[in-house]
Amino acid sequence: MDLSIDRVTKEFGDFSALHEVSLDIASGELIALLGPSGSGKTTLLRLIAGLEYPSSGRILFGGEDASRTRIQDRRVGFVFQHYALFRHMKVIDNVAFGLDVRPGRDRPGKSEIRDRARELLRLVQLDGLEDRFPSQLSGGQRQRVALARALAIEPSVLLLDEPFGALDAQVRKELRVWLRELHDATGHTTVFVTHDQEEALELADRVVVMSQGRIEQADTPARVYDSPASEFVYRFVGESSRLKAAIVQGAVRMGGMDLGSRVEGVQDGPADVYVRPHAVELCEAGAGFLTGKVDHVRRNGGRQIVSLSSPAGGLDAEASLAAQIVPGDAVGFRFARWSLYREGAPLEAAP
Amino acid sequence: MALPRFRQPSILPGFGPALGFTVFYLSAVALIPLGVLVLRAAGFGLGDLWSLATDERTLAALRLSFGASLIAALINLVFGVLLAWVLVRYRFPGKRVLDAMVDLPFALPTAVAGIALTTIYAPNGWIGQFLEPLGLTVVFTPAGVVIALVFISLPFVVRTVQPVLADLDHELEEAAASLGASRLQTFRKVILPALTPSVMTGFALAFARSIGEYGSVIFIAGNIPYVSEIAPLLIVIRLEEFDYDAATAIALIILIISFAALFAINLIQAWTRRRHGHVL
Repeated sequence: MDLSIDRVTKEFGDFSALHEVSLDIASGELIALLGPSGSGKTTLLRLIAGLEYPSSGRILFGGEDASRTRIQDRRVGFVFQHYALFRHMKVIDNVAFGLDVRPGRDRPGKSEIRDRARELLRLVQLDGLEDRFPSQLSGGQRQRVALARALAIEPSVLLLDEPFGALDAQVRKELRVWLRELHDATGHTTVFVTHDQEEALELADRVVVMSQGRIEQADTPARVYDSPASEFVYRFVGESSRLKAAIVQGAVRMGGMDLGSRVEGVQDGPADVYVRPHAVELCEAGAGFLTGKVDHVRRNGGRQIVSLSSPAGGLDAEASLAAQIVPGDAVGFRFARWSLYREGAPLEAAP
Repeated sequence: MALPRFRQPSILPGFGPALGFTVFYLSAVALIPLGVLVLRAAGFGLGDLWSLATDERTLAALRLSFGASLIAALINLVFGVLLAWVLVRYRFPGKRVLDAMVDLPFALPTAVAGIALTTIYAPNGWIGQFLEPLGLTVVFTPAGVVIALVFISLPFVVRTVQPVLADLDHELEEAAASLGASRLQTFRKVILPALTPSVMTGFALAFARSIGEYGSVIFIAGNIPYVSEIAPLLIVIRLEEFDYDAATAIALIILIISFAALFAINLIQAWTRRRHGHVL
């Protein structure tokens, strides 16, 4: 089912958690809400679920206003960060709960409920564990029970709050791949909240980056990474360094050197250049834009990260493992790609 | 669980002294006095014990004591959970005062409670005057006994359920709601099972406290033999008659039935706990 969030504001007392947020989600899409804590991403998810009601604005389910519909009637599958499984019920009873509580006329027969619960457990690869209690399962298994329980009500949308937040790195990666496959197989419109950018970029069709109760950018993972709509998105998604620059008569100058691109129709003044470590090319001192001094060199798995200080500020560069670089060296650098921002907003720079 | 191994290496030191002190302490305050009671009762044969125990008046007193205690504990089970719910879930003016008042039955001398209850439930009392025309007499009847026991055992269920309810993960209710459960279904299928162990504990404590209660009951009950005379009072009466054997016998019977009842409740609790996934 497609979802539409129409200028939704949510206030908790004096604190405003969301400001006029609008977002359209197409049927079958897999959406990540990405942001730091306090950005309003969980509030937005809870508003979609009906666990909170908006202070103003509307939430539409398939074109119908659902802003005031109770959560019981919205048919949303909600998966909580800490699973919220019913500890006194066996796995199968947890999964069957949503069917068991249906009013008499809509409730399938007892054996049918059990069959459907079993089928869902097979779908989440937990067949054979029907009669365990949640306390007898691992974290990853509990998360999958929670998911099966949410799917049992045949939800119109599936909402997941930090679904992998409490799991260790290995299980997280496995579940991520598995959730993507499950989504492709079942086709539910899915929204999940995460503060892990890697998770959002890898899993989602579209990533919604949020900050301070506003949507900064809602775009494909590639576009969020390659063309961040704001300085915040650039900083929050992926690694980046910020360097001081200036615009002088349309030319972008950094540390006295011209970066070779022009911006049109912009007043002279300071600006910020953002660059990702893998877009920094190191070269002989004096051969690049600028020359910096190596502060330290770190090895991170298969990458070598060089931290430099330069007249325009500090930056990180990714160097090949073969490069013999030691602290104290003077190296030149230039950029394969970079972005220009002034006061948080992007400036279009062309060669 | 396997058979308890008596002692296993542990990172927590002090098993020996801790167990030793516990046994000593328990012996000094509980086991030895109770042992003396049993020893004294062992002096007379089973036949004597049986005839003392099956004395009509004794039986009536025991029936009243255990019956009234059970009813009082059941009443407090319902209203104690309700009160705990109100204290945990809602905000209202005077909440802290109400919260503090719950403990009053613990602090108040039981005789004061008994006299106060008798005064208001007497046929010309504040509440009694409305009950009297309806044909309900409280004072000097078993109903009065129940009311006194409800009063003095009120805090137990409230105080055992309250912290558990406060700690209950709110997400459980949200999860139930998202799955389509009504408030009533959520309460019945999700909240209540989580509270059950604490409710049982509170019930057992209230029941135990009620069986032993003396001070408040004797004022409101009127202590009419065969009608409103409780077993603890009968013990005192026998003592005043210097009939120590009868007093001992009644005490022993109370002890045995109480222990059996509490032990059974404990077993049920252990069972529900296991079902709730606490691995002990």
